[in-house]
Amino acid sequence: MATFVEQVREMGIKQAVVTKADEVVERLTAGMNINDIRAALRGDEPRRPNPRLRPHADGFWLHIRPSFYHTGVTHIYPTFRLGWLATFMLVWETITGLILMVFYTPSPLAAYGNMWNILGNVPLGQLFRNMHRLGAEVMVLVVALHMLRTFVTGSYKKPRQFTWATGVLLLLFTIFLSFSGYLLPWDQLAYWALTVFISGGAAAPAPPIVNDTVLLVLQGGPALGADGLLRWYLLHVLLLPLLAGIFFFVHYYKVVLYGISLPPGREQVGEDTAKRVPRDERTYFTPDILTSELMWTALATLFLVAGSLWLWDAPLETHADPVVTPLHVVAPWYLSWSQGWLKLADKTLVVGFIPLLLVAFIVMPYIEVGKSRRYADRRVGLTVAMLFITLMLVSNWMGSPEFRVQSSPDREVSIQLLPEEGPGGLKGIPFEHMTPGTYSPGQVVDGNPFLTRGLELFQSAMFQQSCTLTGNTQWEACKVDVLENGTRRFSNFFTSDAMPDPVAKLEIVEVQPNLKELILHYEVTNPDTGEVSTTEWTRPRHAFSNYEEECRFLNKSCATD
Amino acid sequence: MQIKIVIGTVAFMIAMMVFGYSALREPARLERFTNAELGRSIEAGSEIFANNCATCHGVDATAQECYDAQGNQIACQGLPLNYNGLLCGDVSQRMKDMGWSGTKHDYILTTISAGRGPIMPTWANQFGGPLRPDQVQNVTNFVLNYESETLCAAPLVTYEWPELAQEFLAGPDVTLPADPARGQELFTVTYGCSACHGTVDGSAPAAIGPSLVNIETDGATRVDGQDAQQYVYHSILYPSDFIAPDCPTGPCSGPPSVMPANFGARMGDNPQDMADILAYLLGE
Repeated sequence: MATFVEQVREMGIKQAVVTKADEVVERLTAGMNINDIRAALRGDEPRRPNPRLRPHADGFWLHIRPSFYHTGVTHIYPTFRLGWLATFMLVWETITGLILMVFYTPSPLAAYGNMWNILGNVPLGQLFRNMHRLGAEVMVLVVALHMLRTFVTGSYKKPRQFTWATGVLLLLFTIFLSFSGYLLPWDQLAYWALTVFISGGAAAPAPPIVNDTVLLVLQGGPALGADGLLRWYLLHVLLLPLLAGIFFFVHYYKVVLYGISLPPGREQVGEDTAKRVPRDERTYFTPDILTSELMWTALATLFLVAGSLWLWDAPLETHADPVVTPLHVVAPWYLSWSQGWLKLADKTLVVGFIPLLLVAFIVMPYIEVGKSRRYADRRVGLTVAMLFITLMLVSNWMGSPEFRVQSSPDREVSIQLLPEEGPGGLKGIPFEHMTPGTYSPGQVVDGNPFLTRGLELFQSAMFQQSCTLTGNTQWEACKVDVLENGTRRFSNFFTSDAMPDPVAKLEIVEVQPNLKELILHYEVTNPDTGEVSTTEWTRPRHAFSNYEEECRFLNKSCATD
Repeated sequence: MQIKIVIGTVAFMIAMMVFGYSALREPARLERFTNAELGRSIEAGSEIFANNCATCHGVDATAQECYDAQGNQIACQGLPLNYNGLLCGDVSQRMKDMGWSGTKHDYILTTISAGRGPIMPTWANQFGGPLRPDQVQNVTNFVLNYESETLCAAPLVTYEWPELAQEFLAGPDVTLPADPARGQELFTVTYGCSACHGTVDGSAPAAIGPSLVNIETDGATRVDGQDAQQYVYHSILYPSDFIAPDCPTGPCSGPPSVMPANFGARMGDNPQDMADILAYLLGE
């Protein structure tokens, strides 16, 4: 082999550089030179021997990828690209997560401040936080849909039972990865979601010593604290990614080993022809699959970037406070079904049932051994699956805030208009339009459409929680129940505990430069005893707090428009 | 395949443009969020203040209107915080008085965290108090937010106190005879003196400051050449000038005295208060 200097002498500088570049490219691609790449991109037939197969044989990055696929599996159906998309999300979460890690300290003293630092001090910090959080939710959805697809097309059947089992575990890891990240901002949302989750886990049908120990290990103490945060952080950034990574490679190895199953109608019942690909049915990785994957990478990136910028903002509530329990603690949507179940059955039963369900999923393909993958032959299995999905959707809905426990009617109005966390009907009014004064629900304030709209919301919130005994046209007539002890209870269409003929007002006071207090007053006269009870709900609102932006994003009924 | 290359390239370029667009908006967005952090900190601080601090420092932090948990008005034991002597200027009057060389923010934060003297408790977790570091920070931001142009435009000292009590009482700002009953009200409620000194008749014992039972005779013995009236008058205005010998917890500490040095400023709005309190204390 001639040295570069000798080549220059021989061919002249230009030709020598071209030759050298070609050589470097061939080394980097483990077998394809510049002309081969250009030919592939043009869609030309490969030369013989096919240089496009060499990167799969000699290179590291492609050695796990098959060099060709059955054309039958390269269309949107049957895979819907969901397995690929799940992999993309894993990479996406790793990259955005690593960037966020740079600005994060797993300590209760620092974590919450880190969030505000990321939001207010790190260029593109909010975007990366949104991308990571949105990616986490999308990933759970994608992995679940991937599992559904695998079931529907019968791809879990022999010989792919073990691939399915590792896939179930990967879904579990995905959910845990998403949920373990929940705690890290150390805000009220995080703290109480995790507290409820961990205490639920400790209600498992096991001896108290086991449950207590699990609780202690997961919380790092009698309550979630510094040690607990560190543990969940390490789970999130170390243990779970490691497990997910290992199982991902096992899973993918099996996928390559057995090939992606063809659409059920494409092969004879009981046959598995995925690995026996006739020459005319081959779609080569380079260039077809590769360009397709690069296109989907670009499209998914575009969706996640644009979605993080315009569709949705990751929430951040106030600092975690172990002594202040928010009125309504809500599980993330992908665990909402468990909250729904808790409303139906005993805690221990539910917590004991979930691992059984997991085991049932894992062993399912070893028990359901029907030979045919065709839809017409699997009516029972597909029906059971649809029923299960319906059950999960209904449970999820039952776990949603729609079905929360009601508190007192005045508090329901208050948290709807001036919630402790995040924006609400009155919090979103621009600061300069919060004119100090006293207002009644539904009042029209001239020249102030924002406040007028807020007071409209006040009226409609009151309407749902009030009723009248005196024919006040503002409220609906009370339905009256007489309880056993002789007291009367008043209800309306919306609630079984309504305020009879309430007098409510909103007071706005300026307490400091740029700080106002919004005070909701309620006065209810007990029609039986004549006793007057007054309650108050006060929330401060600072000119800089910028709830307007959150309000717009979360599409709550804020009074900004 | 060609169409995929085109779609992928276009999608990638748009994604990068979206990145670029969001980067352009960043300076404004960063400022909004930095402000939002402060705004929400002040909001959180105002709630902590209302629940913990207003009992002693008053509902609007002027130490004039304090209520106990049942809603009864009680004497304000704390100093006014919504007060130009504390908040105005880079180095405020209070910081000068205390010889504080750090920032105003740190002065307030440290005082909240570690407490001061025997009345102001320690609030920070690290000193055994109930508040987390972020909460102390919130209260600090809330207190600092009282600073305003109106507050700082008001003169710090509103009244020129004559050096001698006799001269003051004979002056045009005092209506004689002074009213000891009103003096008692001022002593026990408005200025909250009895919280530390107890009552003059001894019905409430002194807790922190020297007992004022028999002050009308004891006062004359403390400083050469000053009768009781002059001694008490001077000590209310300048607590650190003379340190009384005996406090309930042992010898009185100081100088500086733990007694707030701002009664002169507070009574300056209505100098008759001083005359009435003197009448109450000295039994005239």
